[in-house]
Order: sequence, then C-alpha cells, then structure tokens
Amino acid sequence: MQSVADDVLNAREKVQIDQAIVTHRNRPGALLGILEEVQSANAHKYLSLAALRYIAEETGVPASRVYSTATFFALFSLDPQGDNLICVCRGTACHTRGSRDLLGKLCLDLGLSNNEVGDTGDADKLALTTADRKFTIRTVACFGQCALAPVVEVNHHILSHVNERTLQREVKALGQGGK
Amino acid sequence: MPNKTVSLRIDGELVTAPEGQTILEAASANQKHIPTLCYLKGLSAVGACRVCMVELAGTERLLPSCTTPIQEGMSIKTRSAKLTLYRRMAVELLLVERNHICSSCVSNGHCELQSLASSLGVTHVRYSYNNPRLPVDMTHSRFVLDHNRCILCTRCVRVCAEVEGANVWEIASRGIHARVVSDLKDDWGHAHNCTGCGKCVQACPTGALAEKGFAVHEMVKQSEAVTRLALQRSGTTPSAV
Repeated sequence: MQSVADDVLNAREKVQIDQAIVTHRNRPGALLGILEEVQSANAHKYLSLAALRYIAEETGVPASRVYSTATFFALFSLDPQGDNLICVCRGTACHTRGSRDLLGKLCLDLGLSNNEVGDTGDADKLALTTADRKFTIRTVACFGQCALAPVVEVNHHILSHVNERTLQREVKALGQGGK
Repeated sequence: MPNKTVSLRIDGELVTAPEGQTILEAASANQKHIPTLCYLKGLSAVGACRVCMVELAGTERLLPSCTTPIQEGMSIKTRSAKLTLYRRMAVELLLVERNHICSSCVSNGHCELQSLASSLGVTHVRYSYNNPRLPVDMTHSRFVLDHNRCILCTRCVRVCAEVEGANVWEIASRGIHARVVSDLKDDWGHAHNCTGCGKCVQACPTGALAEKGFAVHEMVKQSEAVTRLALQRSGTTPSAV
C-alpha cells in the first residue's frame, strides 16, 4: 500500500524531521517523541515509510526498531489519515452502552466496510479512512470517561452520552462545514 | 571478586548457585531439566513462551524460570501435574496460532516446537486453529522466512542484535497481528543491514527461518553453534580467558 508520497520526502519534511530529532537528542526514549512530532507535523497525520527511513538514518536507530515502535503504538498511523478524526471508545462501559452499534452505524454512514468492523471491532487497533480522505475512524480502548459512556471523540473533542442521532448530526456538520 | 552464593531447593534437593543466576541456570547446572523454547543460552532471556514456568513454594503464581533470579531459601518445583498442564496449554496455543503442519515442514524431525510438544505428550490440540494464510519471504538469496511457522520467540531478533549487531529483525504490530519484520517491513533480500550470516536461521527453533535448497525433514539447525559464538563474544567461555 505505498502511495506516491512514500517514495520521497520534500525539503520541508526533511527540515521538520531534523528539528524533531534535534529537540529530542540525547533523551531516553527519544524515538517516541520524534515519531509523535513528525506525525503531527505531517499534513495527513501519518508516518510515511520515507519518513521512517529518514528518521532511522539520521538517528542511527535500526530501521527495524523504528518500524516496530511505529507499529506497536496505536497512536501512530502508517497510512494517510482523513481530515477529521473520529475515535469511538470500545471500552467495557461504552460497549455495554452500545458503542459497537455506534461504530457500525458510523461505518455504514461513511460507506466503510462493515465486515471489517465485525471481524476486528474488538481489536485494539482499528483505523479506517474514507476514500475521499475526509474521515478517519479509529477505535480506542478507553478514554477514562466511563461515566459519560458511550464516548466518541471527534477531532479531539469528547462527546458524551452519544447516540446514533447525535453522532450522525456531528458527522454531517463536519462533512458540510469542514474542509 | 567475591562470589556470593545462594542456597535454594530445586525439586526438594538442596543446591547452591552463584547469586544473580536465574532459576533456569541454577537448575541446569544441577542437572534439573526444565523445558524451554524461546530461551537460547548465550542470548538475553525474554520469557515469551511461558514453557519454562516453575512452581515456587509460597506463591500461587507460576514463574518463568528463564527470567526469574534465584533468591536465598527459594523452594522450586520444576515438574508437577499443574506445570505439565500449563506447559501443554502454552504449546497448544502456539500450535493453533499459525500453521504448524509438520509433514510439510523443512524442520520436521529437527524442530524444537515439535520435540517439545511430543515430550509434553501433546497429541492433539483442544482449541480451534486460526489457520491464517501468511506470506513466505523468498527474496533472500540463501534463506527463506515462512511466517506460517513463526512462533514469535524473538530468538532471531536477539541473535541479530546481540551477536551479529545488525539489528535486522524486529517484531512489528502486536497481538495476533505481530510479525517478524526486517528493516521497515522490507523484503529480507533488500534489508540493508543483513550480512547474510545466517545466525538467525540457526537460532530459529522451528522451520520459520530456513536455508534454501532443503526439502521436508532436511533442515537441521545448529543452535549450539549460536550459543558458542554468543558466549565467545561475551568472553565467558574458557577459551576466551
């Protein structure tokens, strides 16, 4: 699944990565900080293979370890993400209050394959992006807001006691009003 | 250097061992056999396979003997019905996770997973097989990586990092999606760091890593050679003194 952008880094991206490496230099656990910074600086909020390779070359960390770290943490995405990020909590409290149905409905509304949800809906790492790159849906183990269950995070804002109608309204507003 | 020793009981027998040793090391120094899988002498221990579990008097919990250091007054049991039960379960779970079909494996007859299973009396598995269809990496000129046989023991990862120093291998992703990968999930044949030394192949307990050109039954691994190299490198063999 290599997109064109994976092959080369432009000068700006290289400078961003260099800066991230410099700020974290000589700190234990520097790799995590570097990866986080590079991902958030990216326009599509992801780590391209070219970026990972460049990070490995510049820091001297083995490429395999960079890849292992980037794939271990759910925070990191190796595929381009949509403009809007919707995180559905799949923790126990949210599950008992119907977060699976919310997730299924959300996928249906956005035209994402529902059977993937069926198979891996309980997996710790689910990330689906719509073809138009407007939305990315992720599942999260728990936000720690169980009293507000079910919880959905939309672009880093927590929505509480979500039902299908409110979620649908939110998505619609983002689809129209957003980019 | 003063060598402090620790006294403990292994299977009821009083033994003394130098401080800092693990239960496994102390046991094997005293001819007590504990089955292992992810452990390879000379490499660091990770306690991944849970086959070397032992019972410690005074606690309900089973302890992995390869990573647990010995302590004064410990009383260890290396064999019991409970341990056999748990060791069998660990092996069965390894067997169902991928496709360990011995009859079509290069390592058939020389496989540590296979011999462990037979020594534990695993004749069948109680769980349903996952049966994933995983890729086989044939891109290296001399070796082949078959993910279907991999048990994620990370011996290849450790031998490459600790003995060869090339850091070609790592585990990517997690849980059921975990895979051994070279570099940035590149084909093995295109891994920049790989020196083609083949130590990972020799360290691999199953048929996941093998030399090309071998048919079923033919791949004999030399993990003792890896141990010897590792010990020589760390300067702990008599020849290096």
